[in-house]
Amino acid sequence: MPEVLAVKDLVTKFYTDTETVHAVNGVSFHVDEAETLGVVGESGCGKSVSMHSLLRLIPIPPGRIESGQAIFQGRDLLRMSPGEIRQVRGAQIGMVFQDPMTSLNPVITIEKQVAEPLLIHRGMTNAEARTRVVELLTHVGIPCPEKRLADYPHQFSGGMRQRVMIAMALACSPSLLIADEPTTALDVTIQAQFVELVKKLRDDFQMSIIWITHDLGVIAGIAQRVAVMYAGFIVEHATVKELYANPQHPYTRGLLGSLPRLDETRSVRLVNIKGLPPDMCQPPVGCPFVPRCPYAFDHCKAENPPLASVNNGHTSACWWDIDLGKPRG
Amino acid sequence: MINYIIRRLMIMPITLFGMTILIFLMLWILGPSARSALYVSDIPKNEAVMKGIITKYGLDDPIYVQYWSWLVGRPDPDKPGETIGGILRGDFGYSRTFSRPVMELIQLRFPATLELTLYAFLPIILVGVWLGVQAAVRHNQWIDQIARLFSIVGYSFPVFVLGILLMMIFYAQLRWFPVERISDWVKMADYTKYTSLVTVDAILNGRLDIWWDAIRHMVLPIITLSYTSWAAFLRITRSSMLETLRQEYVTTARAKGVAENDVINKHARPNALIPVVTYSGITVAYLLGGVVITETIFNFPGMGSAAANAAGGFDVVTVLAFTLVTGLILILANLIVDILYAMLDPRIRLG
Ligand SMILES: Nc1ncnc2c1ncn2[C@@H]1O[C@H](COP(=O)(O)OP(=O)(O)O)[C@@H](O)[C@H]1O
Ligand SMILES: [Mg+2]
Repeated sequence: MPEVLAVKDLVTKFYTDTETVHAVNGVSFHVDEAETLGVVGESGCGKSVSMHSLLRLIPIPPGRIESGQAIFQGRDLLRMSPGEIRQVRGAQIGMVFQDPMTSLNPVITIEKQVAEPLLIHRGMTNAEARTRVVELLTHVGIPCPEKRLADYPHQFSGGMRQRVMIAMALACSPSLLIADEPTTALDVTIQAQFVELVKKLRDDFQMSIIWITHDLGVIAGIAQRVAVMYAGFIVEHATVKELYANPQHPYTRGLLGSLPRLDETRSVRLVNIKGLPPDMCQPPVGCPFVPRCPYAFDHCKAENPPLASVNNGHTSACWWDIDLGKPRG
Repeated sequence: MINYIIRRLMIMPITLFGMTILIFLMLWILGPSARSALYVSDIPKNEAVMKGIITKYGLDDPIYVQYWSWLVGRPDPDKPGETIGGILRGDFGYSRTFSRPVMELIQLRFPATLELTLYAFLPIILVGVWLGVQAAVRHNQWIDQIARLFSIVGYSFPVFVLGILLMMIFYAQLRWFPVERISDWVKMADYTKYTSLVTVDAILNGRLDIWWDAIRHMVLPIITLSYTSWAAFLRITRSSMLETLRQEYVTTARAKGVAENDVINKHARPNALIPVVTYSGITVAYLLGGVVITETIFNFPGMGSAAANAAGGFDVVTVLAFTLVTGLILILANLIVDILYAMLDPRIRLG
């Protein structure tokens, strides 16, 4: 499968008045055509900053993309001019955010908000855009969309707003959709409906998806591959089946600790792993998971483990070989 | 929107009624002899004569009878068939301090205050919003620093201190700007007074010399009157815009590929203006309060200095008439604020 996006060694930091936040510390991943990549990790581990960095949506200052590349359809997103990256945003890469209550503009009508990418990227007239907006809203399951065009976000429920968000993100049929915890703010039943909707849209639009979540249950249902993030690093990376069957990193094991079997449909959130979440303000020395790791030994404090191949396509960043019960050698 | 405006207009009578009640209560508390100025021009020193007047004009009638007479007038005891008093008829009584009916005084003084206040208010709204937004967008750059300096100076000087300072430097010492409203030659000048706002009339008459004279007279009062409001207004616009730029829907707009100018002007600014509109209503109130000091310092013949004089002479009906006019303007300003608010925010308009 050809790659849609290949990210290499992405580093993003925030320089606040008092400290430096090491939000993303050299992240590499790729997404294939029509594939869904899941990204999991506790809150604050750099998932959003990574994705925002790709579209250069992080505030500069305080933020800064220090290094890395993000090759999207043969071109490096991180080295595009502001005008070029704007041509990609909303046209070739769509984005859906976590909280539908705050991610839609409260003073602009639904029609205008959904039509905007069409007017910008497709040069449609207002009338053409309206027809397309009605199509899109129908597609994402908004009842009677013609009657809702002049409505404002506050007249929609949370689930409906998230549908509007995705209609907006898909307006220009992007080849990649980045969904940043799109179901976290929704009720459980609405979550399930939304996931089903995205699966359907994925097939209709033939697009790739990066799906960020807390919810390992959802990942199992939608993604083909998973990257597990901790403290701004990807610590494990495998196909969904492989990750659930053979988790290698102690952090992944912790996350999966209380997860029910795969065939259960109940949705489960990440369990809390004992110990404090990592301090992103300290420059990383050694493995960031050491303070919480039951397997940690001397070497872990000295050197941060690189992602090493476990078996075909499965990588994990840990000095301890969990299967053999001894340091990797 | 129409529905909202109708609903909003429907509460106007209640507000107005409340205001007249409050003002009448003040008249009531001050006693019958103070109220006699509503109907007679000389207030007699002699107690027996005063008693006569009180009976003659029903100034010891029950409160609701008197309130009604104050509002719509009462039969004139001297001229059968005619009505005397009644604020709704434009009869506010007689001003002792200025020796003329209060209504005449208002007609004479109100345009001056209106003109001064407009010149103080409009730049704050027009330039202040722009500057505040720019300060937020260019956060921590020079324009932001200037806006901040403005705010600090604005908050650290009481109005009267700055007024007197300006007066001493630019009037007494340098003689750059004159006091009062216009020069004597303008008073004599032959031009048509369409609006009684000197600058407007000057332009309508094509008399730039008169316009310039009026502006020169207003420069110091405008600065004195408006600089604290400038400071507050800039601070509010700036912080509101900064807050809005942090909202997720701004990121959504950028993620759609919206150009940065449109992100600011179409997505962020309309939201940021919502609290600013509310604050402009407060600014009007603040400016109307400030005219009393400002006009007094610069001997500017408006309602504020007249009210100050009248208060000094315990000229109750004059002071309360000015209170009433000020109250009316504020009620009107609030109406405009509420309508603008609804125009900006669909949650208000449709809620
Ligand atoms: N604008 C910012 N200024 C400073 N620090 C930030 C900013 N945005 C994010 N961060 C920090 O970057 C780290 C990663 O955040 P984020 O990517 O949002 O986490 P999550 O994995 O929950 O999406 C956090 O420690 C967060 O505090
Ligand atoms: Mg996040």
